[in-house]
Amino acid sequence: MRARIAVLGLLAAACRAPPQQPDPCPDPISARLTAVPSSSPYDSLFVAAGVAFGVPADLLKAIGWVETRWQMVSGTEEFPGRPAAFGVMALRGAALERGAALAGVSPEAARSDPRANIRAAAALLAELAARTRGDWTAAAAELSGIDLPAGRAAYLREVNRARQGPAAAAAVEPCPPPDPGPDYATAIWRPSPNLNQRPADATGVLHAVIIHTCEGNYAGCWSWLVNPVSEVSAHYVVDEDGSEISQLVHEPDRAWHIAAFYDCTLNKDHECWLDGVQSNHFTVGIEHAGFASQGSFPATQLDASATLVCDLTRDRGIPRDWQHIVAHGQLQPENRVDPGPNWPWIGYLHRIQAACGEIVVDDSARYNDPGVAAVRVPGDWAATSPTPDYYGGGYSWASTLPGATDSAVFSFRLDQPVPRTVEARWTSGSNRSARATYVIIDAMANTLGVATVDQTNGGGSWQPLGTWTFPAGWNRVALVRDAATGVIVVADAIRVRAP
Amino acid sequence: MTSLKRRRTGLACTLVIALGACGQERSQRAPRDSGRVEIAATPVAATPPAQDTAFTGTTAVTDKRRAGPPALLRAVSFVSSSGYDRIVFEFAGDSVPGYHVEYPTRPVVRCGSGDPVTVAGQARLLVRLAPARAHDDGGNVSIAERESAPGLPAVKEMKLVCDFEGQVEWVLGVAAMRPYRVVEADGPPRLVLDVSHAP
Repeated sequence: MRARIAVLGLLAAACRAPPQQPDPCPDPISARLTAVPSSSPYDSLFVAAGVAFGVPADLLKAIGWVETRWQMVSGTEEFPGRPAAFGVMALRGAALERGAALAGVSPEAARSDPRANIRAAAALLAELAARTRGDWTAAAAELSGIDLPAGRAAYLREVNRARQGPAAAAAVEPCPPPDPGPDYATAIWRPSPNLNQRPADATGVLHAVIIHTCEGNYAGCWSWLVNPVSEVSAHYVVDEDGSEISQLVHEPDRAWHIAAFYDCTLNKDHECWLDGVQSNHFTVGIEHAGFASQGSFPATQLDASATLVCDLTRDRGIPRDWQHIVAHGQLQPENRVDPGPNWPWIGYLHRIQAACGEIVVDDSARYNDPGVAAVRVPGDWAATSPTPDYYGGGYSWASTLPGATDSAVFSFRLDQPVPRTVEARWTSGSNRSARATYVIIDAMANTLGVATVDQTNGGGSWQPLGTWTFPAGWNRVALVRDAATGVIVVADAIRVRAP
Repeated sequence: MTSLKRRRTGLACTLVIALGACGQERSQRAPRDSGRVEIAATPVAATPPAQDTAFTGTTAVTDKRRAGPPALLRAVSFVSSSGYDRIVFEFAGDSVPGYHVEYPTRPVVRCGSGDPVTVAGQARLLVRLAPARAHDDGGNVSIAERESAPGLPAVKEMKLVCDFEGQVEWVLGVAAMRPYRVVEADGPPRLVLDVSHAP
């Protein structure tokens, strides 16, 4: 084992820190290791055992080289629970006993006699290969007893090199690139093996964030999600008080956090073309230590999570709204409720928006942060929601009417004078105004500007109205309906952000 | 090396699981603190009678909900009797969790990856335990054998398809859709699932 660890250490060192070589991933084997001799002291035994058990003799020989450099070892227990290794093939514990039984030799002989030892290894390898349907590489990996995927890969590179020469080893199993660490700078990188690649087509484009609760504590949560046995993972785990975040899977990779196949009727009829697509394909999963049944969530945990979500939605171009930041239980209602009824969704979105330095004003007051956002929608405007991709719970509309003065007014409060870009959101339709007019009015009641937009198009996303410098206080954006009759104007929301 | 042995205790078979330096595909993914882990289910309290002619079960959904901290699943055993197969889920602690048992119409998938899961037999019986888990706070499994092929008359195969966010799900491959029944037992807390041999 020590030899193997030394080899792995060498590989890891070579892969992570190439010594002054332009190639970021040099072939560490040919560069640093001695050549494999063409003949061993046990060649005839490898051949005989190979014939007897139907195992490639050169594979036995290669494993013998990697394990012991063809020495008869009599090991001692180096780590508790890891039995000592014996013989040319470094057989251990239950594996040695099983191999001996299969080969018809005594365990004692398998420990001390090269012939019995090699035969036991051959018999065991044959049995493993039967399980792997004749995949000798997989069987050799099993025989190694190495669990860690990276360790297995390195071990197989070694075996392959011993079997076929340095060039083949490098070609078959390239040195993995250096670990890039977390996407989120303040996260602790605890990589999980439980991932795969997102589809290359549109269904694999990162599109939404799924909010989970662990149903347990932080350490237990991430440590289970990095265990390959669990076959589950998430991109992030946020601890109970927000003082630590673990990243387990890179955002571009597909973590395993949601079983549901997408159904747009569970998500305000948003992106129905994704119906039936496995939801891991296009989502980032964030676990939160705690339980869906808990009565409240600590503000510090919500803030840490919100800051993370701001960061990743900004980097990945994910809209920060109700269709793109959603509950596990919302998309998988048949058997999940997390993060539970007491997750403060509206306040959580406000924290995310605040972390990103933006204010959103919805046409419905309940979705607004009253400290910075207010709305007034006059009585002749109707609230509705048949056209999807609105912000919040729906949108308001009114027919155009010459001379009408009842505008829908979105107000936002600034602490100090700053330039801000204002964007509007609506839902599109052929009955909308092609010249919907927004008037920008500052806290001193000065009209800063007028913006006209075509609401027959561009719905469901933020469309720029312009950038102005606003004074401190409550500034306003009014959507007017004073226009020739025959169309409607849609007041959904506005967003105010740094230019 | 993982071996699945059957220990005959009357009619009961007990899973004896040994983890070692190497093993088959599933077991090699077990935690590294290898060694011999024996999960010996205590004998089922209600030993199946030789002939249970009065088996009344259902093929409909059974749904029993409970709240509270997750129950730790610590052993699963199976036994075949005259008339039905019995699967026993044993928990650490004082009580059994809630459970949901059904012959699902939709495909069974792993709850993390969404990957479909296939089992032997013509019917799939899903057993969801919640709140429950089959791993400890250190991220180590409490049930090492997460797939097995009992090869009983009704229950052909069992796979643990979910151990995530306080839910544990097993899918049982059943020869064909057969009535089942669920009984709660205590000392230690167990859920006893019987699957009839007869339609």
